Amino acid sequence: MIMFKGKNNSRNEPVAGRDDYLWDGSGQPDPEIQKLESLLGKFRHDRPAPVFPEIVPDRRWTFFPWRLRLFPALATAVTAVVIAVVSFQHYARQPLPVTVAGWDVSLVAGAPRIGANAISGKETSRLAIGQVLETDPQSRANLRAEDIGQIEMEPSTRLRLLTMGAALKRIALDRGIIHAYIWAPAGQFVVDTPSAVTVDLGCAYTLQVDDSGAGLVRTSLGWVGFKLNGHESFIPAGAACATRPKVGPGTPYFEDASSNFRSALAKFDFEDSTPGQRAGDLAVVLGEARTRDALTLWHLLMRTGEEQRVLVYDRLRELAPPPAGVTREGILRLDQPMLDLWWNQLGFDDISVWRHWERSWSGAVTPK
Amino acid sequence: MREQSAPEPSEDALLVGAARDGDRAAFGRLYQLYARMVHGVLLARVPLADVDDLVQDVFMIALRRLSTLRETASFGAWLAAIARNRANDYHRRSVPEDQLADETVDQNIENGEVRKNEDHDGQAAVILDAVRSLPGAYRETLILRLVEGMTGPEIAARTGLTHDSVRVNLHRGMRQLRAILNSNPDSGSPQQETR
Repeated sequence: MIMFKGKNNSRNEPVAGRDDYLWDGSGQPDPEIQKLESLLGKFRHDRPAPVFPEIVPDRRWTFFPWRLRLFPALATAVTAVVIAVVSFQHYARQPLPVTVAGWDVSLVAGAPRIGANAISGKETSRLAIGQVLETDPQSRANLRAEDIGQIEMEPSTRLRLLTMGAALKRIALDRGIIHAYIWAPAGQFVVDTPSAVTVDLGCAYTLQVDDSGAGLVRTSLGWVGFKLNGHESFIPAGAACATRPKVGPGTPYFEDASSNFRSALAKFDFEDSTPGQRAGDLAVVLGEARTRDALTLWHLLMRTGEEQRVLVYDRLRELAPPPAGVTREGILRLDQPMLDLWWNQLGFDDISVWRHWERSWSGAVTPK
Repeated sequence: MREQSAPEPSEDALLVGAARDGDRAAFGRLYQLYARMVHGVLLARVPLADVDDLVQDVFMIALRRLSTLRETASFGAWLAAIARNRANDYHRRSVPEDQLADETVDQNIENGEVRKNEDHDGQAAVILDAVRSLPGAYRETLILRLVEGMTGPEIAARTGLTHDSVRVNLHRGMRQLRAILNSNPDSGSPQQETR
């Protein structure tokens, strides 16, 4: 029988000195952790390195090494110099290979177009900065960039490539549906929509935009940030978030929440309701919320007035008690460090990734 | 620290640069440094039986794409992202993620304690399953610490996370793991409650 004493359960944060063994194996050994290490160590990686294939060096200029080997050993120095000079001049006249920054586009079905040119099914096309890729109702296409990820493009979709910088890669989805699988570092891949900016935070997600500019993001792995005009939403795997022109991102919710919950939340976010109706919608949301719907309630703290925020705080506290260092007064005045501490306590992901992105880019990124 | 110390970022950059120039030994050294990290990232997401093969897949993908890596000092974060994406591909092409538990794992967290398993392996599998039921932010870090034997500083250096994030994830993950191993189903696993 494996029983743990559950020590430190009352503590919410690591305490210097007391968690040293868990942190780096120093300090007083913790017998429980030692037992876990002993049991779980059997799953540790122990395979030797495989034989990797030969690596083709990433060089543009390889003339001299192989060319010199072709000359006989007795070739005169003069001949070698002449040949080298002639060869150098020859190569110097050749244009260096030009790689256009962009995404590789491959045809899946129909006749997608880059600008006015239909994509051939035989070879990969290149979507360059400033170009538009569009699928009609019968077309589908895939985009791939080795250091960013892959995008599957549904029919009736239009997107533009805006930038391909080293630290920020950016496209605009004007309408339609894309499925994005991103392996670029978190925060580097951004999608503009007419009603919000979508920031990849290490994930896979589906993003759709209708003809009115309204959008919906559904996250299947990792999490996504949605931002516009000071409204921001964090959408972890299994959750979704709608966005509307001139309003921005709504409140994220888990897709398995009750229909009453989702309906009331949509009204609360986007309908032009009376104060009474709004209060009623909020009451439904709070009443139907499960523990995991703390995701939604945490966001609602920033989308409610003082009076309603108290109700949200009280319900969120019941579902997911705040960690040490987070006070009622602090949350009600929307103290950001306290809000961030509480978010991190919910276990979705570390919000510092998003804050880092905000400091780096948010001022420069608005939908285009 | 019990494990080898994490390399300075410049060591990664040097190794990546040498590998790009065709030095297979340099890439082999990167494998030695990062294989446990990749293994842990995958073990947090896919069934145990497939992890070793996927580790090799991840390094082969990294080898092919090495020339596209612009910030060589970020090799670890880049490699971790490839591993997470490979795990995602695995689930898209094969089994749903909620079937993560291996067939050999006995789902017997019940009545406030984990049932005794006669054999050591079964006990370990049950605990691994409990770790993998934790929220995503915690399970990866905890697997790197408890399974792969990496220290907190080493996890931070390999994955690109900050020391603070790793420390908090370890602490909270450990606390939730203790709760799972001690509590009854009504108190719920973190996955049931908060994910």
